[in-house]
Amino acid sequence: MNFFTYDISSISPVKLCVIPAVILLLSLLSVGMMWMQTGLPVSPGIEFEGGISVTIVTDESPEDITAYFSGYPLVSVNEGINNGKYLKFGPMDDSTVIEFTKKVEERYKGAKIDQIGSSFGKTLQDQATIAILISFIGMAIVVFVVFRTFVPAAAVVVSAFADMVMTAAAMNLFGIQLSLGTTAALLMLIGYSVDSDILLTSRVLKRKGRFDEKMQGAFKTGIIMTSTTFGAILAMWLVASIGGIQIIAEIGAVLLIGLLFDVMNTWLTNAGIIKWYMTEGKGRLSTAQRGA
Amino acid sequence: MDKDTFVEMIKDYRVAIYLVLLITSIIVIFPHPGPSGIETNLQFGLDLDGGSWIQLEFQSAVVTFKSDMSVEQFVTDLKTKLDAEVSLVDENTLEIRKGISEEELRQVFSELDTELVSYNPGVTKATAEDVKRILENKINSLGTRDAKVYVITALNGISRYVRIEMAGVSMGEAQEIVGKQGKFEIRIHTTGNETEHVLFGDAIQSVANPSQTPPNSNNWGVSFVITQSAGEDLRQAAINSGATKSPDGHNLDMILDGKVVYSAPLSPDLAAELQAKATTNLLASTGYGEEGREQAKLLEIHLRNGALPVGVTIAGSGSVSPELGDQFKFWSVLAGIFALIAVGISVYIRYREPGIVLPMVMINASEVIILLASTVFFLQLDLATIAGLIAVLGTGIDQLVIITDEILHEGKVPSPNLYMKRLKRALGIIIASAGTVLIAMLPLAVMDLSTLRGFAMITILGVLVGVLVTRPAYGRIIMSILSK
Repeated sequence: MNFFTYDISSISPVKLCVIPAVILLLSLLSVGMMWMQTGLPVSPGIEFEGGISVTIVTDESPEDITAYFSGYPLVSVNEGINNGKYLKFGPMDDSTVIEFTKKVEERYKGAKIDQIGSSFGKTLQDQATIAILISFIGMAIVVFVVFRTFVPAAAVVVSAFADMVMTAAAMNLFGIQLSLGTTAALLMLIGYSVDSDILLTSRVLKRKGRFDEKMQGAFKTGIIMTSTTFGAILAMWLVASIGGIQIIAEIGAVLLIGLLFDVMNTWLTNAGIIKWYMTEGKGRLSTAQRGA
Repeated sequence: MDKDTFVEMIKDYRVAIYLVLLITSIIVIFPHPGPSGIETNLQFGLDLDGGSWIQLEFQSAVVTFKSDMSVEQFVTDLKTKLDAEVSLVDENTLEIRKGISEEELRQVFSELDTELVSYNPGVTKATAEDVKRILENKINSLGTRDAKVYVITALNGISRYVRIEMAGVSMGEAQEIVGKQGKFEIRIHTTGNETEHVLFGDAIQSVANPSQTPPNSNNWGVSFVITQSAGEDLRQAAINSGATKSPDGHNLDMILDGKVVYSAPLSPDLAAELQAKATTNLLASTGYGEEGREQAKLLEIHLRNGALPVGVTIAGSGSVSPELGDQFKFWSVLAGIFALIAVGISVYIRYREPGIVLPMVMINASEVIILLASTVFFLQLDLATIAGLIAVLGTGIDQLVIITDEILHEGKVPSPNLYMKRLKRALGIIIASAGTVLIAMLPLAVMDLSTLRGFAMITILGVLVGVLVTRPAYGRIIMSILSK
């Protein structure tokens, strides 16, 4: 299977990194702006902000629903397939929550209700932030321990960072909110992203042979890895979306976006840095080891 | 592959361990036909089985302090200033049972010339255990089918939340059950089996923790205070029934929701006292030793009428109806199957060799089976866990591809020696990337972000099972197949 050959022998390291660098910059901008508005890099969903979501199956129109819930802080009504409706409400106090639940159950049997108080949401938010930070630092430590050389290790870490930031920016673009599920997906991305980066870096550093050939070999393996994963997650996302399993669909969507960025960041960003290291960076340190 | 290579392959310890684990897993899951289709030992979470959860946040804080004042004096002053229950945990740690912010508390402390050293919202382990017991008792006494109460404790040992999960109950019902107070009554025996009403639960003003009277005697009991008017009622009832004259035969019964939970005669002291005047301070003794202590704990709960020793607010709650849960089950099984098919198709496009593709897909599927079996012991299978399971399927296949490509370098099957060298190198790459996934998911597994714990745990487990068992076994199996 050869859709196209991955041949970067005639492209300079700087050129390889230009496109990812521009996208990273734009992404940082988007994420930064969201941060200033909401205090989080991605617009927070109910779990982090507090509020109530209600999933019901009804043929009533959004107007009817809005009228029925007048007096409660209804934020939005979204319509899904098969008459599914997804309602979002702002935070309420304890007694209102209890009263509200009764009102929902009275009219809509089998409703799915999820409620998070705003202070609990804040706690979840803090914990999620800490979790992401620790995960990222931990990942960086493992990568540095594995490669024990600064530039290749840094390349892996930079690619993983770029994956996460770009995915976060894409979430803002597509209106996917930050929830517990999407936070987990972002963390999972660290793992996925590092997978192909480590493959690339160890093939290039630890195998004998010409640099460009090793890159091509790594690409062949790497791209099949990413595409099988992509296939699996795509299937999961499609089925979960049709079946209305919100949390799995969200996780799937974020992983799919992240995998696409991972292809770019592995084979342009990481490859660019590694190429520079093998041909120029390392050359300065010891000309004797200069690659072919 | 001929018979000899096959036997040799199975005898290899990597393959043997994998096969044993896979077979054990299938036994553990134990799929068998039941009245409603195929049944298994898998434990499903609320979002698949249907039910409700409520997470309560304690209105309380555990603080440490540094004071020049005597501890007793400080605690007494603090109690009056805050108008809240304050109890000493150890010589410089307090549990303050009131929802109060760190700033407010710092203000109060400085007025008492005391330094607030640390502030943690929540309750101590002991209080959390009390709450758990009270809630369990209450839920059980209402005959709720399948309820679980979890205290959520942070790494520093302080519990901020308690989570109640009830299967097959709607959210409205769940809120009612958790919020409901039991109906508590004290009655006195008059003649024979006849009893007469003395007081209801609302007449109980406060209940102390179980204590020993006299101290260190190992004679346990619970003291409680009733209202002035209830004190008068008790005196009248005791005199009218003749209990003050002959306490035996005129037991006082404590009844919760129609069930007698405690019954004892007036003590001679109390009988004499009641003859003379009313009293509001009562002590119910429950006997000696460990059994007496257990009885006292239970009685305390009953006297508290199902009320919690510390105030709570609803932090979060949610519900899924059983029908929707069934629907989720169906679609998530479908999602898993389709993910596996997608994996099969993409590796087939790459290798076009059933001898490689079949073992890959089978190893991948068996990883899922092994992981499902491991959930039986310590995880509930919920939607997030299933998403984790499918995500693991994705990384798993990645690593099988790494192994295959490392070994088949330059398209040729190498000699056994070189083969093992390459397999080791491939496993090296895999261990490195597995290490990063493990580290990345660890915070989620340790911290309590409720729904995400399952996702993180399954990912970590998946990485471990993969690196330790299934991927080395795959390396060995593919060797036997390719060296035909």
